[in-house]
Amino acid sequence: MNLTINQQDFSVSDEDTTRPLLWVLRDELGLSATKFGCGAGICGSCSVQVDGVTMRSCVTPLVAVEGKSIRTVEGLATENEVGEEVLHPVQEAFIKHQVPQCAWCMSGQMMTALSLIEKNNDPSEEEIVNAMSNNYCRCGCYVRIKTAVKEAATLMQEQEA
Amino acid sequence: MSKKSKKDATTEASVEAAVASQDVVNDTSDSVEVADKKSKKRRWRMSRRGFLVGLGITGVGAALGLKFGVPEGQLALAGMLDDAAAPSNVKGSPVAWFEVGTEGTTLYMPKVEMGQGVHTALKQIAAEELELPWDAIQVVSSPTTRGLADGFGTGGSSTVSSLFTPLRETAATMREMLKTKAAEKLSVDVADLKVEDGVVFAAADSSKKLSYAEIVSGVSEWDVPKKAPALKAQSDFKYVGKPMQRVDFKDKLTGKAMYGYDMRKEGMLYGAVARPESFQATMKSAEVGAAKSQAGVVDVVITEDFAGVVATSRAAAYKGVEVLNVVWDEHSGFSTADAMALCTVEDGSGLTVQREGNAPKALKADSAKVIQAEYRTPMAAHSHLEPQAALAHVQGDKLEAWVSTQAPFVVRDDLAEAMGFKKENVDVTATFLGGGFGRRLSGKVAIEAARLSQATGKPVHVGWNRTEEFKYGYLRPPTHNVLKATLNGSKIEAMEHQVASGDVAFPFFPEFLTKVFGADFGAWRGATNFYDGIENRRTLSQRVKLPFDTGWWRGLGLLANTFAQESFMDELANAAGVDALEFRLEHFAASEDGQRFRGVLTKAAEMADWGGSLPEGHAQGIACSTDVNTKVAQVAEVSIENGKIRVHKISCAMDCGLTINPDGAAAQAQGGIIMSLSSVFLEKVDIADSRIQINNFDSYPLITMRDAPEINVEMVDSGPEPFGVGEPPMGPTAAAVANAVFALTGQRLRELPLKLNA
Ligand code: FES
Ligand code: FES
Repeated sequence: MNLTINQQDFSVSDEDTTRPLLWVLRDELGLSATKFGCGAGICGSCSVQVDGVTMRSCVTPLVAVEGKSIRTVEGLATENEVGEEVLHPVQEAFIKHQVPQCAWCMSGQMMTALSLIEKNNDPSEEEIVNAMSNNYCRCGCYVRIKTAVKEAATLMQEQEA
Repeated sequence: MSKKSKKDATTEASVEAAVASQDVVNDTSDSVEVADKKSKKRRWRMSRRGFLVGLGITGVGAALGLKFGVPEGQLALAGMLDDAAAPSNVKGSPVAWFEVGTEGTTLYMPKVEMGQGVHTALKQIAAEELELPWDAIQVVSSPTTRGLADGFGTGGSSTVSSLFTPLRETAATMREMLKTKAAEKLSVDVADLKVEDGVVFAAADSSKKLSYAEIVSGVSEWDVPKKAPALKAQSDFKYVGKPMQRVDFKDKLTGKAMYGYDMRKEGMLYGAVARPESFQATMKSAEVGAAKSQAGVVDVVITEDFAGVVATSRAAAYKGVEVLNVVWDEHSGFSTADAMALCTVEDGSGLTVQREGNAPKALKADSAKVIQAEYRTPMAAHSHLEPQAALAHVQGDKLEAWVSTQAPFVVRDDLAEAMGFKKENVDVTATFLGGGFGRRLSGKVAIEAARLSQATGKPVHVGWNRTEEFKYGYLRPPTHNVLKATLNGSKIEAMEHQVASGDVAFPFFPEFLTKVFGADFGAWRGATNFYDGIENRRTLSQRVKLPFDTGWWRGLGLLANTFAQESFMDELANAAGVDALEFRLEHFAASEDGQRFRGVLTKAAEMADWGGSLPEGHAQGIACSTDVNTKVAQVAEVSIENGKIRVHKISCAMDCGLTINPDGAAAQAQGGIIMSLSSVFLEKVDIADSRIQINNFDSYPLITMRDAPEINVEMVDSGPEPFGVGEPPMGPTAAAVANAVFALTGQRLRELPLKLNA
């Protein structure tokens, strides 16, 4: 089976196509930025984008993403002409506000934030809270996540302009 | 890990600590310390081999180790490192060391980064005395065979406070050694040299200069100053006390940082282990059953007390485990109610852990007027988001393991014992940790991976799922706190605090030491009465033995004990008819501690506009606590929305002495407050029929952004030494919220999680 992840093509075994995307990413393809926290669709650590929509990869069977465009944290940063890494505005904002602690939840937080901002680049506080309140952060970074998501939206607006 | 191995590991650790407190002459074969009596110089000579091999690609450099709490001038020196001369075998076990090489400076620490920002704080301290540009030094967690013995691990909010002075002294010594060598190379008197940004130059002629890299190049003999050089004045600090950016975030936010769950190796396999339903169950028998013929299963390992499966994928390993025939002797019948019943204060039966004046006498004299209240907290789960994980590779009698652990040396010792390997053949590297909170101090998952690796000869990764994490670790113990006091007018005459708690620290100590201690210091942490203006104070700690595992948790007993004591203070203030802030301020003596408490209380009150006007339907509560000598005060502002408590704002003032990184400290406070609020609103583990009743976050939800209040943190600096910041902020939150709820509703809620009466 072929998968498109961060605009690259990958071929994975098509035995048991119901296996969760999360472990295909992590264990089969070595894309370990996407994290595991519960395996039950609750904590949000495993959030990725599928055709621009946030999905919980731990409960997403492989067949559901065949032929679709998958985006993970590995696909956020880009490279400039001289080969330097250029962080995505969401990553920039999370660093600027020194958001993470252990950071295990942060890939999920950033991918969830990205989907929100791509739909609505000027989210209100309430909209941010609604979008982000299904992602756990045990280290308790919520106050800073909220600020950083707002900032990321502003940065992405500027980039579009 | 068996209880026994935990205990042995700790005995070992204390032996190491004892050795480390003695003066040391380095005696590894690769390096010699020569005491040159005539010149009164200590000379550090490194053999060519040690020199080159140890520095690998950079080829040239020097290393200097430091020991915990060493007196000045007794710095231990570690030779350059190669596989044969592992510095963890160096006598005296220095706990950290620098390498200054031609490509920069590295500080190797046995301390792990679990989210608390410790690598950043240590870098600030080291860069400061070494006079290095911020990017010229990196901090690395060292593996156990190259790293230096640290039996304690990372926890107890102790890393920065315990290492601050030794690390400064070592860095300053290193700087002076570099200067001395530069003086030789530049033919300039050392007194005429200056150091800035990693460059030594002649004060009179700055064209005469050498970078650290140039200085170390080609040098194989170093003079060690007899005494640690003078340390920088606080007013000259460039990094310490400044909100420096965390060093680990870029890798973490781009997915490059490797955690235990992420570790991989060519040819690796995955393991899963059979587990019983109940706690205290033992394995009666185990047979391979159909497991070996399952797709993907590579091997099945069965011993007396262990049954596990190695497979080509995690799913296949778990499926293999499902079809093993394992018969358990299950435990039954024990419930939450039994735990609560056991965990009940029996008046006067605890061990006295604090005695000021004569509280029993004063309480007795005024027995008709005794005010009494009792409080409870339930079992809780650490819930760090990355479950236990380890990758192990056994090759012959050698073992390498990469583990999400707070205590790589404990894991090493556990592994050596479980596998029957020599300690020096076991190399444990602590990876980044997806949270710690006291739950990563056992070698269990690493032992599982090692057993399965040994059977197959392949690297094997074992990563627990959430259910395993919740059911097969250890829990925060339940607590019961009984407080009594008498008032004389508006002053407290006497106060007594009795704590009954399941074990916190004791499961990690050998039996004989628990007898020496008598009471579990983890259980009564935060329980002693810190109001030094009260003449008669007594605290008793009663050990409760429970049939399931309990242990370390962020702040240990701090959350439960402060909840009780500071709620009770509020009850007393109310009984005395005095404002809760005033009442507290009046119960501190004119002591240094009292002054620091007043400082944080007044600050938090000012931040929150205590006593000012609030929105309709809002009320405030205040509480304070002390932990590892850090004082914290918090004001909570709450309302009731749809019949539920809503916290709008927490104003937090924290005095941790000297703050190394104000932004990092604020982040720790914010995080600690959120974690406490999760306990205040939600967290509770139930037990039925000897089975832990939580399987995943649906049965054990955590707080989310929706219920996270605005949190403001301000630091109140009070001295030249730093104290811990990881745990102290966990103290006041629960009581501050409960006190605010009382102010608003008149309901005194004495049990966590807080539930309003209908
Ligand atoms: S791991 Fe997928 S939601 Fe928790
Ligand atoms: S930063 Fe640790 S779980 Fe969010």
